[in-house]
Amino acid sequence: MQPKLKKSLIYWAMLSPLVVVILFPFAVMFVTAVRPRDELFVYPPRWGFSEFRWGNFAEMWVKTNFGEALFNSLYVSVLSTALALVLSIPAAYALSRYRFPGKGAYRTFLLMTQMMSPIVLVLGLFRLMVALGMVNNLNSLVLTYAAFNMAFTIWMLQSYFSTIPRDLEEAAWIDGASHFTSLVRIFLPLAVPAMAVTAIFSFINGWNEFVLALTMIRSSDDFTLPVQIYSQVAGRYQVEWHHVMAGTVLATVPVAIVFSWLQKYLIRGMALGAVK
Amino acid sequence: MASVKIRNVEKSFGALKVIHGVNIDVEDHEFVVLVGPSGCGKSTLLRMIAGLETISGGEIVIGDKVVNNVPPRDRDIAMVFQNYALYPHMSIFDNMGFSLKLRKRPKPEIEAKVMEAADILNLQPYLDRSPAQLSGGQRQRVAMGRALVRDAQVFLFDEPLSNLDAKLRVVMRTEIKALHQRLKTTSVYVTHDQIEAMTMADRIVVMNAGRVEQIGAPLELYDSPANLFVAGFLGSPSMNFIKGRFRREGDQAHLLCDDGTALPVPAASTAWNDKTVVLGVRPEHLNLAADGQGIAATVDVVEPTGANIEVFVELAGERVCAVFSERHPFRPGEKIALGWDIDKVHLFDAATGRRI
Ligand SMILES: Nc1ncnc2c1ncn2[C@@H]1O[C@H](COP(=O)(O)OP(=O)(O)OP(=O)(O)O)[C@@H](O)[C@H]1O
Ligand SMILES: [Mg+2]
Repeated sequence: MQPKLKKSLIYWAMLSPLVVVILFPFAVMFVTAVRPRDELFVYPPRWGFSEFRWGNFAEMWVKTNFGEALFNSLYVSVLSTALALVLSIPAAYALSRYRFPGKGAYRTFLLMTQMMSPIVLVLGLFRLMVALGMVNNLNSLVLTYAAFNMAFTIWMLQSYFSTIPRDLEEAAWIDGASHFTSLVRIFLPLAVPAMAVTAIFSFINGWNEFVLALTMIRSSDDFTLPVQIYSQVAGRYQVEWHHVMAGTVLATVPVAIVFSWLQKYLIRGMALGAVK
Repeated sequence: MASVKIRNVEKSFGALKVIHGVNIDVEDHEFVVLVGPSGCGKSTLLRMIAGLETISGGEIVIGDKVVNNVPPRDRDIAMVFQNYALYPHMSIFDNMGFSLKLRKRPKPEIEAKVMEAADILNLQPYLDRSPAQLSGGQRQRVAMGRALVRDAQVFLFDEPLSNLDAKLRVVMRTEIKALHQRLKTTSVYVTHDQIEAMTMADRIVVMNAGRVEQIGAPLELYDSPANLFVAGFLGSPSMNFIKGRFRREGDQAHLLCDDGTALPVPAASTAWNDKTVVLGVRPEHLNLAADGQGIAATVDVVEPTGANIEVFVELAGERVCAVFSERHPFRPGEKIALGWDIDKVHLFDAATGRRI
């Protein structure tokens, strides 16, 4: 017990610089979000403050129309993730199980799309959405996010699918299953960890995306969270920092929830991969 | 249950041809073992019977139906995979009952069948566990159980014992054989282990490089191998081969080796005179010759196995293995004299490898 305790203390000590770097912005965010307005700009800056002003959150919620932006962000992230997964799973399955002409080229193509920054494509995408009449429509974001994520999700799913032994499906066919049945009863249940992991990544990408959302969405009713929070800062005479920070704190909550909900799959997925 | 006929079956992967026209008839109720070295195409052939691999040429008949284009699920076969291929997310019970569930059998029937199979294989205590919670031997039995509940026409086994330790392998070997004697389901069993083949098979098919070398009952193959490959493949330690020039004079024949030794061999036709042939002697057919007779040999290495001793000697310039059940106290370097019963040795054509 004793050496073990010492060991973990040493490990934590070694990790601490990293922990500080990661936690510092959160700490600033949090202490700014909960302090009274008139203590925002004291000099020299202090960590301490006179009272916990939880009311900041409620005020911010109403003043910045936070609820609507939250809903918009959830709508876009969930739907784009679902769309990306629904389209990626068959593609990844085909890549890992079948041989077809152009397979290598297709995989290279997928990888290459990842090298392009979305900003390069923003103008083109905007014109495309104009042509489709989808500007100022959240569904334009659903489509583009799903499209941007798919290269990654296909790649990721494909590499996991390839670790699921083919024998299992073959055994199912011999047991009397059709291709479809073996897919649904044998293959997909085993692929859940991979799907969960890719879903997390895709969701977080959608949640944090800023440039496309800023470009495609004009009316403030349809702002996603990053754009909404940005609009509280940009082009204003007076920035209500405590509201901005309260907004950012709240905006990280759903991501944390998704993560902790799916993390058991994440860990199981890693463990599964380890034995195979 | 049904017979399986494999007729001129060929298989190519792209430009690579791995099965070159194979013909095998598996009778109803028969236990046939496909044996051969790694990469000779045993698994490929078995997978073609199962329908997991397309057939490039020829046809496969199960019962009286050509199954070339029948998908695996309609072939009514059961297969035990080398790595067992148990469904990791299902309990043992569900693993075994999966095929019946797919066939929409009533629940009580599934339960009865699974219980019956679990009874036979001693798996009752594990039915609620998941495959990850079982030992290798138990998983192997579950894989067997999955096949058993099916009442399939044909059982296919692809090296089902190769992942088990030596002792368990012997136990399971006997269990599978006993099971077959009881159920009499037509079975095709793939292995690269010749002892498994010898002990389990009604008939053995020896394969090499995508071709059938010989088909026959185990002892038939052991006692009169059709060629050098079969002779060398079956038996452990394997048959000794000594090359030399054949010479027949009158009723007697001998083999003239490179170092000048003349070895007594069966009297084949004089047509073989002066041709290069290969003499095959099984280690257990070598015996100690009486003083002043036999062929001189020098002891190299002595390996006691308990039941026997295996003695490696230098004989006619070759290293030869002899097995004795008596515990001779040989020492390395010792000179001994060996002989053999001419009826028990084999002659092969050195050029073609065929038995003379
Ligand atoms: N999908 C494939 N694509 C190309 N070649 C293949 C494929 N599957 C098998 N082969 C080749 O076919 C030959 C026969 O393979 P097979 O698996 O039938 O051998 P095996 O006799 O079962 O060997 P082992 O005892 O090692 O299992 C091998 O040379 C192998 O490389
Ligand atoms: Mg094989």
